[in-house]
Amino acid sequence: MRRALAILSLALAAIPAGALAAVDTAAEARAAQVEALRGEIANQIQLQAYDLLDELVYGWLQQPVFPIDTPVVLADVSAPVGFGSGLQALIETHFTSLIIKNPATHVVLAHCPQCSALVVHSGAKGTVVARGVDEPEALSSAGALSGAKHALFLDFEVEGSSLVLRARVTSLQPALPIVYARTLSSSTSSPALLRGGDRLKSAAEARQEYLDALAGRSVYLIPLHFGLRSYASPPSGSTAQGLIAPLFWLEAGVEAPLTQARAWTGSFTLGATWAPMSHAGWMAQVRVARLLSGTVSSLTLPDLYGFVGASIISLNGSTALAFSENVPSIENIIAADRKTDPHAIFPALQVGLELRVKNRIGVAVFLENLPTMNSPSIGKYLDYSILQFQTFGAEVTFCF
Amino acid sequence: METLLLILLLPMPDYLGRAFDPSPGLWQSKEEARSLECRRMSQAQAHELYPGQVPEPPPRGEFGATDALACSQRILSPSERKARDEALLATLRQSVGELTEQASATYPGELTWQVDAFYPDPVVASKVAVAARTDLAERGRKVSDRVPVLAAGDISVLAHLPAKQAYPLACRRYRAQHLLSEKDAFLGLMILDAREFQLHAGVCLAGEWKWLR
Repeated sequence: MRRALAILSLALAAIPAGALAAVDTAAEARAAQVEALRGEIANQIQLQAYDLLDELVYGWLQQPVFPIDTPVVLADVSAPVGFGSGLQALIETHFTSLIIKNPATHVVLAHCPQCSALVVHSGAKGTVVARGVDEPEALSSAGALSGAKHALFLDFEVEGSSLVLRARVTSLQPALPIVYARTLSSSTSSPALLRGGDRLKSAAEARQEYLDALAGRSVYLIPLHFGLRSYASPPSGSTAQGLIAPLFWLEAGVEAPLTQARAWTGSFTLGATWAPMSHAGWMAQVRVARLLSGTVSSLTLPDLYGFVGASIISLNGSTALAFSENVPSIENIIAADRKTDPHAIFPALQVGLELRVKNRIGVAVFLENLPTMNSPSIGKYLDYSILQFQTFGAEVTFCF
Repeated sequence: METLLLILLLPMPDYLGRAFDPSPGLWQSKEEARSLECRRMSQAQAHELYPGQVPEPPPRGEFGATDALACSQRILSPSERKARDEALLATLRQSVGELTEQASATYPGELTWQVDAFYPDPVVASKVAVAARTDLAERGRKVSDRVPVLAAGDISVLAHLPAKQAYPLACRRYRAQHLLSEKDAFLGLMILDAREFQLHAGVCLAGEWKWLR
């Protein structure tokens, strides 16, 4: 009894410590989540900031601020309120790389560590403590400007759903006149253009490239389908017994867009099937597909197509017996074994759905109606009296 | 069974449509809806901005007017920064643009503008001042990066005065100290009450202070 009481009091004593540990762990997990979220936001902002810098430098290529190569001090890069020096460093590095890759901007970055540092300058008017760029006379007399007569300021700020860049160039004269100013804004919903630093283009050109890619990407495709067709088993009261094994098909052909941006597509494929001691067959198939998940195919998300098609299927071998109007008998099967090849040829109408990723890989499911089929060995998956579906199929497609 | 399946699948397009609805409901919480910034625009404009999502308007026009609601997620959720800073910064371009436009229209002459902002947080103050300077320069006005700075004694006196008196007095001191010449105009942007986020502005020219808002 005493021992049980001791164990109970030990357990009770351990509860607050355990609870506190749980609270600590929850707080840490929450902090980690917030940190991860902040990192994700920083990544998005970083791409957008790069995009705005690209746009700024592209503008300088079209209309240079200076007619000849001019040394410029990168005086200040300011990140949005709430973001630290990490983002600032990334922005500065990207900007420097852009300027080096695009000498036609006529901007030559000059080294001036004193420009952003606090300087103390004593003169006739008194002693002034200020940033270097705010007191160019002091820097000039100290010979710290490396010959630069201009300072560049880049200021980024998050305003609602937009990132805004304010760039200005100040002449390093005592009056500090602003000789160039530009405000650029981007929306978070428009994806970053991700232009190459050495081949800058305008936002309009980048958009046109995107549209061209949407409209004219891979005009003709060669689809390769790996498909499986499963036929319904006959109703339980039927005299025919046995289930047809699913048929594996390999198909290849050509697919073309019928309208711009692949909203409608058409395809023609030829297929073959074979199983040892069972069957060999071929098929020809046409399909028309309609994009259901939008009006134009997406570059970034999977596209859902609905399709209808028609095919003609020819089979040789013992499997073909299941598609005949008679119930397969022992004699039939023996005759098939003696190479008096049974043969079946029948049309099929299909309807289905296909999910495509970037017109490269697709997965489809479909149902087939066999309009001339009266075989007692084949049942129906769906029966709408005027329309029956005897086949269920699935396929994986690779497009080349 | 098939009929039941059909009945279940028939409203599918409606369900899918609701998935894109930015208002709070089955697919979206109130908090998620609040973090969106939405703008209504014509289909043509929406196609221009989002060619992958919005189709081109038919060339022969449409029977009814079709428009689009473009929603984008705020980069930072409202709780990430201080409420007053967030409210000011979220509309910085618009609010500063209105004030610089007013200042520029009120004083159209050949002036050199100097700009400063007065806000409790110096980082945010610097953002406001930079926005105003850049905006004025983009409007084609002569703008200087220099800021008139009064002596410590002046500042300590001004700090004890109410804002309505402090700024006009500061303006007279700028003139007396020769920090601003006849051709220099000083645009000051500030909040007058610590509880507000709306920017006020005034211009100091030839020792005379004039409130713009």
